[in-house]
Amino acid sequence: MSGMRQIAGRLAQLVFVLWAVATILFLMFRLMPGNPLAAYIDPTFTEEQQRILMARFGLDRPLWEQYLIYLANLLRGDLGDSFFYRQPVFDRIMELLPNTLVLTFSSLIIAYGFGIVVGAWLAWARGGLAERIVIPVVLTTRAMPEFWLGMVLLAIFSFWLGWFPAGGTRPPGAEYDSLLALYASRDFLSHLALPVLTLAIYSQGLPLLLMRSNMLEVMREDFVTMARIKGLPRWRVVVLHAARNALLPVATSFAIAVGYQIQGNVVVETVFSWPGLGRELVNAVSASDYPLAQGAFLMIAAVVVVMNLIADLLYGILDPRVSHA
Amino acid sequence: MTETILDIRDLAIAYRVAQGEMRAVDGASLAVPAGTITGLVGESGCGKTTLARALTRVMPGNARLAGGQALFAGRDLMTLPEAEMNRLRWREIAFVPQSAMNSLDPVYRVGTQLREVLVGRGGMDRRRARARAEELFGMVGIEPRRLGDYPHQFSGGMRQRVAIALALALGPRLVIADEPVTALDVIVQRQILDQLLELQKGLGLSVILVTHDISVVAYVCDRVAVMYAGQVVEAGDVRTVLTRPAHPYTMGLCNAFPHLDGARGVLTPIEGAPPDLLAPPPGCRFAPRCPFAVDACRRQAPPVQAIGGTHLAACHRIAEAEALRARAARVETWAAMAETVA
Amino acid sequence: MPEAMDASPGAAAGGLAGRLWRGLRLPLGDPLAVFGLMIYVLFILTAVFADQLATHDPTEILYTPDYDLAADRRPGEDGYILGTTSLGRDIWSQLVYGSRSALLIGLTAAVMVALIGTLVGLVAGYFGGWVDAVLMRLADIAFGIPFLPFVIVLSAFLEPSIWNVVLAMALVLWRDTGRVIRSQVLSLRTRAYVEAARVCGSSDLKIVFRHIAPNILPLSFLYGSIAIGWAILTEASISFLGFGDPDTISWGTMLQDAYASQALSTRAFHWFVPPGLCIILVVVAGFLVSRGYEEILFPKLKE
Repeated sequence: MSGMRQIAGRLAQLVFVLWAVATILFLMFRLMPGNPLAAYIDPTFTEEQQRILMARFGLDRPLWEQYLIYLANLLRGDLGDSFFYRQPVFDRIMELLPNTLVLTFSSLIIAYGFGIVVGAWLAWARGGLAERIVIPVVLTTRAMPEFWLGMVLLAIFSFWLGWFPAGGTRPPGAEYDSLLALYASRDFLSHLALPVLTLAIYSQGLPLLLMRSNMLEVMREDFVTMARIKGLPRWRVVVLHAARNALLPVATSFAIAVGYQIQGNVVVETVFSWPGLGRELVNAVSASDYPLAQGAFLMIAAVVVVMNLIADLLYGILDPRVSHA
Repeated sequence: MTETILDIRDLAIAYRVAQGEMRAVDGASLAVPAGTITGLVGESGCGKTTLARALTRVMPGNARLAGGQALFAGRDLMTLPEAEMNRLRWREIAFVPQSAMNSLDPVYRVGTQLREVLVGRGGMDRRRARARAEELFGMVGIEPRRLGDYPHQFSGGMRQRVAIALALALGPRLVIADEPVTALDVIVQRQILDQLLELQKGLGLSVILVTHDISVVAYVCDRVAVMYAGQVVEAGDVRTVLTRPAHPYTMGLCNAFPHLDGARGVLTPIEGAPPDLLAPPPGCRFAPRCPFAVDACRRQAPPVQAIGGTHLAACHRIAEAEALRARAARVETWAAMAETVA
Repeated sequence: MPEAMDASPGAAAGGLAGRLWRGLRLPLGDPLAVFGLMIYVLFILTAVFADQLATHDPTEILYTPDYDLAADRRPGEDGYILGTTSLGRDIWSQLVYGSRSALLIGLTAAVMVALIGTLVGLVAGYFGGWVDAVLMRLADIAFGIPFLPFVIVLSAFLEPSIWNVVLAMALVLWRDTGRVIRSQVLSLRTRAYVEAARVCGSSDLKIVFRHIAPNILPLSFLYGSIAIGWAILTEASISFLGFGDPDTISWGTMLQDAYASQALSTRAFHWFVPPGLCIILVVVAGFLVSRGYEEILFPKLKE
């Protein structure tokens, strides 16, 4: 039962970290210079109107009281109202989250599929020409600014060759019955292609290099040698024994990569005008729509923290030495 | 005399290393009679593990066959096409590794690993494989329900039993056991060796048991081959070799281990270290550490000679063996070498 | 891993500079790391001699002799090495001056990250107890902060400046370095020579800085060399998103300018490709150097 206690401990840590991040965010937004409502208040507003507004957003109360209200609201999932959209921030975020998740998961699945296979293959063919070519290329992709890669792909495949649309999720004016209908449409997929390609190229390096180094290590293990002495077919030795073991940390890194990608999406979503959480954060910060910025930030932080936790738990589930201790 | 299941002739295995080529096995010859346990004994680095692994032809990437033959039922394992060699692996020649902890795949249940061999290599269907797995576990004294456990859930001794069950899965003719009990404590060692002995007798197996421990050899082996610096320097049936060794190295080795009959002699180490295999000494390789070495020993390698029956040894002074044995029994003989080799 | 670290328990004399130089232990044995160091040298030289290398004032709007705007020149056209922007600025000169802000941000951020991370790791690992607990909880929090969004929010509140990136990195990115160095210190403090120093009555401060710190220095440099790349990438992202300092020429602001000026649709590759390549080159150099340090630290990785 130490497993349950460990999970409980990690959950407590998760709550603690989220609380700390929320508090830091509160302090940042409240202590910033200038009136937080500057973007909201029309210069023609009378002082009376301004005071009413301040009261409506609770900004006339002492800081500690605002803080407690903020925490209480957070617990209820109430992130306040967006200044710009005049709608609850929570609703707005929930509208955008699926777009971000589709982008993140489809690119990461491609990146991991590719990285795992190529990484395993590189370990298999180590010391060869492939290694000398592929590894520098992979290091280069890791060193690229994601948005720059997006710009280059956009310039080539959209503006030059005209194969893909330049941004957004759908052609102008197109309407769909549901989110699912949109996601299943050809139009959506052609809009998705370039941002996914950008993120996938950027992300494949981590699983590839990790898989390769793990494989090299596992292939030196006795049980791999034994599998060969048993006369098992080559593919079985490589795939079911070496790769299966090398995969453990790679699978764990997937969860961490989701969290990492969600924060990195900020730039790629902007390049491709992709209506997701990251781009919304950028727009909200630019427009001083601080409830929305705060909400988007918290949502991203929540994904990061939860994914880190999942990474920990996943390792326990995937490795029988931990799960069957 | 029964038939010979494995006949190793002048085998040489070389490793490519930074400084050149190192012959870990260099002209080793050894005959393994069917239905016996043959011990392969020597210090670490003498090439015994390399020799054992060479018989499976699964070797590190920098190792290569540098000469010789290993005739298994008349066929040379060293020159067999890979596909045919692979047919022999595990069905005819199985392997019990030193550390069962590292040689079982940690992410699969042991039952799955048994099934992998039974189905994949033995061609059984899953039902028969299941029955056979339970039977094998019964043979090595583990409850069948533990087939569902992962390797790390077994104790060291139990894991070694699992390794033995795995080796016996397809009813091989030859089992190579590489230090199968080295990592275990003495009591468990004895249990495992008893088990091995019982199975070997019951199934009529031929076993090559690689060990550095003379007492293990004395406990289970019918025959023994003593290896030194990549060569077999003495071979014969266990009783003869251990009680009337003809090679000074064997004499020294017997001194260095507690006697099995319980007689408490003084344990005397052999001074010095085995030679550098990148540049082995000319003549007898043991000469630099041998208290009885004469000029001829340093000039010319001694040939393997028969002493009587199947007892073989490679020593220039084989005729004086009786007298040398008496001197070898004294501590001073070996202690005197301390300065020479230092 | 221990062999290489045991080599210099930092006892010998030779002054602080000498000690630091030995602690630096440049990975000169690894050709790729040497290549990385050469890129660094080239990069530093470019930044130092930017005035000599640039052909124009990077912010100046250029005109033809006929007083037409010298905009959208292709590379080589009218003597502009890499052409001009749509506003008639010289791209080559911008690229050269961009190395200055990259160098400035990269080095300061690397120093901050390595310094803070090393101090946190040393203190947490050596003193343990509640100090360790507090510092490691702070690291947990730092791991929970999404870095790029944090820089964006921070940049929005502060005056636009390239230092925002450095500040954000100093506030958040010490976490990785800190954790790794802490675990290294935990293993070092049980070593015989540290025990010996303690028994001989050396003060904690002396033990930490004389016996432990020299051995973790390569680890600090490893993370420092990664941080250089991180800082340059982050600055580029922030500038691209429009939160950078518009008065500074950096590779990030060049890219933002190109993107905003429709350089993609006019296929002005000569405008937005070079800054990206420069960023890649410097970041790759960081990777190569850090791999060199890894091999010094963990020789078993070498095959």
